[in-house]
This record gives sequence, C-alpha cells and structure tokens, in this order.
Amino acid sequence: MTVLEKVSAALGRTSPLLEAPIPPAISEPLVRLVHSDIGLPELFAKRAEENKMHVTACNVEDLMGHLIGFLRETGCRKIALPISRLLDGLEVVKQLNHAGFEAKRWDQMTLDELYDYDCGVTDVTYAVAETGSLVIRASAKHGRSLSLVPPIHVAILEPKNFLPDLVDVFDRLAKDGGAGNINFITGPSKTSDIEMNLVVGVHGPCQVQLFILQ
Amino acid sequence: MTSTLEHQTIDPHTQDFLDEAKASKFDFHSISIKAAGDERLKTAINSAVMRQYTGRQLRLLELPDSEGLRTLAGDIKGHALDYLDYYLVQTKQAVERNGGQVHFARTGEEAKRIIFDIIDKANCKSCIKSKSMVSEEIELAHALEARGMDVVETDLGEFIVQIDHDKPSHLVSPIVHKDRASIGKSFAEYFGTPFTDDPEKLTKQARVYLRDKFRRADFGMTGGNFVVAETGQVCVVENEGNARQSITTPRVLVSLIGIEKLVPRLADLAVMLKLLARSATGQPFTVYTNLFGGPQQEGEKDGPEEFHLVFLDNGRTEILGSEYRETLRCIRCGACLNACPIYRKIGGHAYGSIYPGPIGALITPLFQGLGNFKDLPQASSLCGACYEACPVKINIPKHLINMRKDIVSQHLNHPMERVIYRMWAWALKSPFLYGAISAMQKFELRRRAKKTGWVKSVPFPGSGWTQIRDMPAPAAKTFHEMWRGK
Repeated sequence: MTVLEKVSAALGRTSPLLEAPIPPAISEPLVRLVHSDIGLPELFAKRAEENKMHVTACNVEDLMGHLIGFLRETGCRKIALPISRLLDGLEVVKQLNHAGFEAKRWDQMTLDELYDYDCGVTDVTYAVAETGSLVIRASAKHGRSLSLVPPIHVAILEPKNFLPDLVDVFDRLAKDGGAGNINFITGPSKTSDIEMNLVVGVHGPCQVQLFILQ
Repeated sequence: MTSTLEHQTIDPHTQDFLDEAKASKFDFHSISIKAAGDERLKTAINSAVMRQYTGRQLRLLELPDSEGLRTLAGDIKGHALDYLDYYLVQTKQAVERNGGQVHFARTGEEAKRIIFDIIDKANCKSCIKSKSMVSEEIELAHALEARGMDVVETDLGEFIVQIDHDKPSHLVSPIVHKDRASIGKSFAEYFGTPFTDDPEKLTKQARVYLRDKFRRADFGMTGGNFVVAETGQVCVVENEGNARQSITTPRVLVSLIGIEKLVPRLADLAVMLKLLARSATGQPFTVYTNLFGGPQQEGEKDGPEEFHLVFLDNGRTEILGSEYRETLRCIRCGACLNACPIYRKIGGHAYGSIYPGPIGALITPLFQGLGNFKDLPQASSLCGACYEACPVKINIPKHLINMRKDIVSQHLNHPMERVIYRMWAWALKSPFLYGAISAMQKFELRRRAKKTGWVKSVPFPGSGWTQIRDMPAPAAKTFHEMWRGK
C-alpha cells in the first residue's frame, strides 16, 4: 500500500476523500490581539525595540542623512540593495555611492559576492504591529539573501506597510497569491542554546536597523 | 580541521545513558535512577526548563482567551488529521504547481533512499542541515555522512550535539543537559583553539565556521513546523537564521516532514504561530518565520533550483488509525517537557528515544513498539501538568492510562503482577477472606513496626516500596472493626 492508501485506510475510507472538507471556523476575537488601525507605527516600533531592533522615525528628506550616518558609524563599506520602487525613487544607490560607499543593486551581483557585503538595505512588504515583525516577499528584484547574508540589515518602512495583526498578514498573503518565499523577521539573529544565555548574532544579521518614514 | 565531522570524543555522560539504553532491552528504571541522582544534570535541566515554563505562563496571559485559542488550535490540527488524505493530495498538487516535487516514504529507510537518489541525480557534495526532529528520528545525518557527504548541523545546539557525538535531550533546546564548560572543552578540541566557556565567544566561533559552510553548500535539508495544504508552503520557525540559510543558499533543497504536519489554510498559521513560540520558549514570536513552497521563480538569483518535499509515514498511519490519533496533533513545542515533574528530575536521555518527556512517553512506544518501551507510560505521576501546557490540547494523561491498559491486556506486565492482582480480586470477593487477610496483614505489619512505629522492611514484592520509604504502622483497629464495635 502507498502512504496515501494507508492514510485513507486508517481514516476508514477505501479511496482518498475528494470533496473538500470544511475546516474549523477561526473566531477572530479569540485570535486577534491588535484591534485598531490607529497608532500602528508606534506600536510596531515598541515591539520591534523589545525584539532588539533599533528604530528611527524620520521624514523622507532626512532619511539619507540618517542612513549615511548609521552606515559610517557601523563601519560599513559595501552595501547591497534590492531593485525597489521605494529605494530607486529615493535614489539611495546613487546617493550612497556619492557619499563614498560601494552600493550595488541585486541585479549587479552574485549570491556568492553578497557574502562579502557589510550591509543589506531593503524595503519591506509588510510590517506587523502585533509582533514587531518585518515581512518580506522575495522576488527576482528582491533577493532572499539580501536581508540574511550581510551582517547588518537596514530596512526602510513606509506608512502603507503597516498591518495590525498576524491575522491580517496571513489574510493579505493569501489574497496576494503566489506561494514564493516569504520571511518574517523579528529581530537580529539570536540563540539561547548555551545555558540559556542570550547571544545576539548567530547565522543571520547581528544588527537590524529600521527607519520608519513618516 | 577535517572537512567532515569526525568524532574523536563522545560525551562520557551521554554515552553511559546510551550504552544502557542499547544493552539488550531499554531499562527506564535503572537509567532514571541514575539520572535522578545526578545533581549537575538536574541543576542544568531545572534552570533551563523553569525559565521556559514561567516564560510560557506569562506569555499566555497576553492572549485574550488562551484556553479558547488552544481549543481552536487543537481543532484545526484534529481536523487536518481527520481529513489527512484530502489535504495530502491538495498539498501535493500545490507543491507541484509551485514547481516542486513531492515524495511519500513509508519508512525511514525509504525516505533515506529517496533523499540519496535526489543527491546522486543532482550530484551534491555538501549539506547544511537545519534542526529537525524527523531527521533525528530516522538518523538521516549519520546516513548521509556514511555515504561520504559533508554534513553539518547548523543550529548551534545541534552543531554541539554533532561535534560531541551526543544526542539531543529536549525537543526545542537540544543541549539543556550540557554546561558551558563541557561545550567550551568540545570546541577547544574540535577547532584546536584555546579554551573559552564564554557563550558569546563560542557562538562567534561557530558563526565563522558555519558561514563558510553556508557559502559553499550545494544541498539544504530542513524539517517543517507546518505545511499549508492550500498553498503548498512549508513553514519553519527558528531564531538563529540557519534554517533560512538552508532554504536560501544551496541549489537543492529537501524538506523531510512527517505527514501529520498539515494545516488546511494560511489563516491557520496565525492561530498556530501565536501559540507555538509562547509555549516553547516563552517568546511572543520567533526571530525568523520562513515560508517556502518551491524552487526559485523566473528571474530569481537565489533560492533552490530544485525543491523536494518528502513526507514520512514511519508508523504515523498506524497511529492515525488507532485510538491515539490525537497524539499526532503534537507541534513539538516542548511545553509538556518543561511542565513535567518527572522530566525535570531525569532529563531527556532517560527516555531512550529522541522524543522525551510526557509526549515522548506516549509516542515512543507507539513508534517503536509498546513491548520495547513498556516502562515509559508508567513514567508519569498523571498530575496533568502536560495536558494543561499543551497548545493543541492533547490529553496526555488519558492516553497514558489507556496505554497502561494496553500493557495489561497485551500481557506485557510482569507475571508476578498479574498473579497478585488475580489473588487480590479473588480475596476481595469474599468478606471472610478479606477480613482474614487484612487481620494477618495488620498483625504482621504491627509486629514489624513495634519499636519505632514505622515499618522499615517487608518481604518481596512489598520490599520495592520499603527500600526507599518507610510506612506507618497500621491502626490497632481496622475501620471494619470500629464500625462493628460502635
């Protein structure tokens, strides 16, 4: 018997069920933790900081000043970016190169080269206020590794990114369709494996800096 | 430093347990006595699990109705199991639509053959593997190494387990039984570097070593916390980023997952994920929650070129068809281990399998035969703390009691036990016999307790009791006598 046949037999059927069963209804009051759309960036920032991400709120005009300041402070030189409407619109690559950094877009590098980069600067698909998580859907323009391989990750968030609750995120993801790669990022990489001591910076980025555009 | 992990040293501590577990028959009794007497082990485990346990309790308070949410989570998993045939077919179709391949393996051996085949066809040499209980279950890493593959466990805890040739002792925190000094010693030996026991420095050392592996590996292995049937996406949660590496950088990716891991919809993940990390480590949410469902799409430069989802049965369909179906809801959060007064005293190795604690006491006999592990269902005080902690409401105490019934009905208990109970039943049926025996018993016990008022020893089989505790002398008059004489 194949595994599928064994499963059907164990459930008392002679062939696999073909008609779609109806899963239990998900009662929203039970699951939802964030009920309001008001103050999402503030709640997000609070939760993100609890998860050891650094948050800076700023205006679009001040973004480059803040970003360049942060990259200089952390000693970054090579910066990787996705092809993104937001970042391209702000001419981030051009301005970083102008400021003396070596900034390149994802289409100008290989995955192997990315291992030698100091920082990935990305936009995000969603930002979840409930958990302080970034949600990034990967694509040809936005490599899966950009927010993973370089030791520092900088994310730039727009007001339209914010969603209240995980309930809303999975609702959106289901509506967006496509099953590609989706990553929830809730802090720098960490471990407590050795005697429950929290150590930040294991296999993912050691530092996550967020700029929230107002 | 060699490219494959060659093991010169074995943690002597674990080796003792393993030797005893292997010696002909699994003897829970003697292993647990030994573990319970080990103060170092007890302290290490207690400090770790108590932290996760209290963290869990605090985090559940954040939920509007944690009881209701646990019921819902249990219902969702229960529903997926009741219609598993439908959801498996749906998942297969979805994964194929995404460009991936689905395989079904009846046994661990079959799963290994499927995976070897994938490796041979794609000519892969170097594997980065993220933490997965299922691959421990079928000892996949050893099998891959034996075929000459360079395999590295990338979760920090599992990496330490691997270089020590040890076994994980907890579902979530594999090395709760180890202290930093022994980890420092292993690292110094393995890397040939000066000794340090600073967790920061040890972690950094592993980071540098494994980063190079990530960069070069051509084969990624993961398990899966959930599989979403409607989209064909696998969900893997973690804190370190190593699973994300495994699913992102190598050109071939295999996820080996038990058939019971399905949930019907993406929306179900909101329910499950709100409970999983809270129950496991007392975190509101893990650092990384990864969803992936196929190979890289048109134009993508990273992500696997090939994606295979291998569904493992290995005894699960037998459980599905039995009265123990509910145990397949388990999401391996470890909350029942942390809550269990027995686990806290003896640790994970004493259970003789990779699934320890209350849930292990249930599923290990189901997977590996009740006859081989008949002590495990007894390794519980039936206090119910595990049931209270379980995010999917598996009624562990109820199933443990049923399994004890199975032990009796399948005549797996000691013949002496059966004789004694038969005699007892016979005596209880006759008021005369009952009275005569209890009078004799009272006389003998009071004689033995004459000096101190405590019975310090009785003949076999009662000696099993008095070896470790004294018993107060029975009262001068039995209840029956008092009733009659009132």
